[in-house]
Amino acid sequence: MYELFKNLGTWLTSGAQWSGGDGIAHRLAEHLQYSLLATLIAAAIGLPLGLLIGHTGKGAFVAINLASFGRALPTVGLVVLVFLASGLSMWPVYIALVALAVPAIVTNTYAGMTAVDPDVKDAARGQGMRGHQVLRQVELPLALPLIMTGLRLALIQVVATATIAAYVSFGGLGRYVFDGLAQRDLVQVLGGAVLVAVVAVVLDVALAGLQRFLFRHRTA
Amino acid sequence: MNRRTLLGGLFAAASVPALSACAGGITSLDGEGGASGGGGSSKGGVTIGTANFTENQVLGHLYAAALTGAGVKATVRPNLGTREILIPALKGGDIDLLPEYQGALLHYLAPKATATEEGAMQNALTVALPAGLQVLPYGMAEDSDAFVVTRETARKYGLTSLADLKKQNGRLVVGAAPEVKKRQVGVVGLKEVYGVEFKEFKSLDSSGPLVKGALKKGDVDVANLFTTDTDIQANGWVVLTDPKNLIPGQHVVPLIADRKADATVRRALARLGNVLTTAQLTELNRQVDKDKKDPEDVATAYARRHGLLK
Amino acid sequence: MTIDWSWLGDHTDDLTTLTLSHLQAALTAVLLGLVISLPLAVVAHRIRPLRGLLLGLSNVLFTIPSIAVFVLLLPVSGLTRTTTVIGLTIYTLVVLLRNTVEGLDSVPARTKEAAKAMGTRPLRTLLTVELPLALPVIMAGVRIATVMSISLVSVATYIGDGGLGQLFTDGFQRNFPTPVIVGVVLTILLAVVADALLVALQYALTPWRRRRA
Repeated sequence: MYELFKNLGTWLTSGAQWSGGDGIAHRLAEHLQYSLLATLIAAAIGLPLGLLIGHTGKGAFVAINLASFGRALPTVGLVVLVFLASGLSMWPVYIALVALAVPAIVTNTYAGMTAVDPDVKDAARGQGMRGHQVLRQVELPLALPLIMTGLRLALIQVVATATIAAYVSFGGLGRYVFDGLAQRDLVQVLGGAVLVAVVAVVLDVALAGLQRFLFRHRTA
Repeated sequence: MNRRTLLGGLFAAASVPALSACAGGITSLDGEGGASGGGGSSKGGVTIGTANFTENQVLGHLYAAALTGAGVKATVRPNLGTREILIPALKGGDIDLLPEYQGALLHYLAPKATATEEGAMQNALTVALPAGLQVLPYGMAEDSDAFVVTRETARKYGLTSLADLKKQNGRLVVGAAPEVKKRQVGVVGLKEVYGVEFKEFKSLDSSGPLVKGALKKGDVDVANLFTTDTDIQANGWVVLTDPKNLIPGQHVVPLIADRKADATVRRALARLGNVLTTAQLTELNRQVDKDKKDPEDVATAYARRHGLLK
Repeated sequence: MTIDWSWLGDHTDDLTTLTLSHLQAALTAVLLGLVISLPLAVVAHRIRPLRGLLLGLSNVLFTIPSIAVFVLLLPVSGLTRTTTVIGLTIYTLVVLLRNTVEGLDSVPARTKEAAKAMGTRPLRTLLTVELPLALPVIMAGVRIATVMSISLVSVATYIGDGGLGQLFTDGFQRNFPTPVIVGVVLTILLAVVADALLVALQYALTPWRRRRA
């Protein structure tokens, strides 16, 4: 074990390991690209859906159970299925990652919306606000903390799962995990895993910072 | 064609008692290990491990059929990974027997080995193998690594042999299973023997959908495939010749833990080795890959046809 | 992409074996996870400084890709079911620990004081008052952990186990969609059924909540 971590130190700090097509810098950039793009697409789908369901109250059953369904979906199976349908392309990766992220976003957005006090909504309507105004100016700001929780959860899961891109020939930090498995090079596997965890934690902290910033902005 | 089929071996994985791996790891280091050639017993049954590509699973089930025919209980654990994963598992006691390939196994154990002729390789293997493991006599069937290009690529760059690749150094992308990057029969040897340097190495799979898909799409220029893959012929791909004999002969050879290598097992596997030809193995692979038959069904039918199993 | 129905008919035995093997791995992991997280949660609930440490640690575990965990366990437990179960257990801990701590937190201080005033010993209070009252939140965690484990088992196919996940690698290698579709559907079904059974179990375990409802 000690040996493994000592070698990990060497692996992580050697200049050669950071440069080139299979270098950490490049793999890191790929991993960020897959994760951020997938989470953005998922947010573009999940946020409006969650807001709509929360605002109208229609489809609540879907919103509540979607998270459970999302957790049940086996990512490896989905990736292979899309691969068999689409061939060698990025589709399997993005579809699987988006499918993973959408449920967390929808469910939390919906939960945030339902947590808004109905009296507050009534008061807003009583002041003559239209439906979309209530949504934008009252419900959305109040639901923001839970919406952000959903986004953060989704992003963490996507970053950890983007490893799968390497299974269907693409890059990202998963390359180290899958290549390390094939070569039984555990230092490489550990290096990949540690880098993924660091990326997830850093992005999560960044989103938490963004969340705080948004709040300050609102109350100011 | 139903019941216990392609994944039949899996239940073995499920029923492995907890922590047996640790126990196995310890017992495999005891005295029995060094005595190559004797002392083993297949009474408790033999667990056959197979690598992550079709042919190895076919071979695993052929071994199982031959052993069953000889009255030995055999279970197949499909799709365990690469040689790099399988051999430690064999030493550790998770599995007992592996269908291997002479040259590739030799280069894994002794990267600097120079033997290329079958008999010499068999001797070299006996020397190179760690205590506790032995190879049984190799079979007739052969499956070599091949470096393959499309006809268009061959024409464009004037490629017919591995030596021609050097002229295009820094220009071509090679696709292979991840482990090939570090293997002698792979990127390492191509550089050492032929002076070839690729522009990029793409980690794909072992003669599977990724490497073949990438070759078709043009994502890679050179692909590492197996000579028993019928897709090479079907697509009219060009196998680059190997004038300097980088790629050794790859007869199928059983690699077994001493603890299970008794006379019954040896005889059963030798009988199979003397019957199975390269053409037959290629056909069995095709039935699994293209006709979507189960490796176990294909192997059992073959063993029955050739009197290895009643 | 069509389903080869005859393959399905020919493989009912295999599919049963794989499904059972899949379920066994997931359930063993959840049970182990519970056994480990219950005492840890009690400690984290009582000793504040440890709480942040334990929960933080389990959150970090969650960010490590599961395939890497399975591979890194190979030197410890080899290509065995043990490796699969240990890997899965690590992931259940993340959910179970957090929910159990939150469940214990949710027990009103008044209730605990009442038990103390009646002379109930701390351990007895924990077992007969706190844990039963924390049960709904704990069960919510058990449900999430179970569904998550059922979905994660298939990742162990990369180390030669993985229950229904074997269907994914098999279909992938042979360009054969049928086993993959069947594997995905069975995994989801398994998760849905397990989740429904846990809801029923919770209903049976918490009769006091029914009366109120």
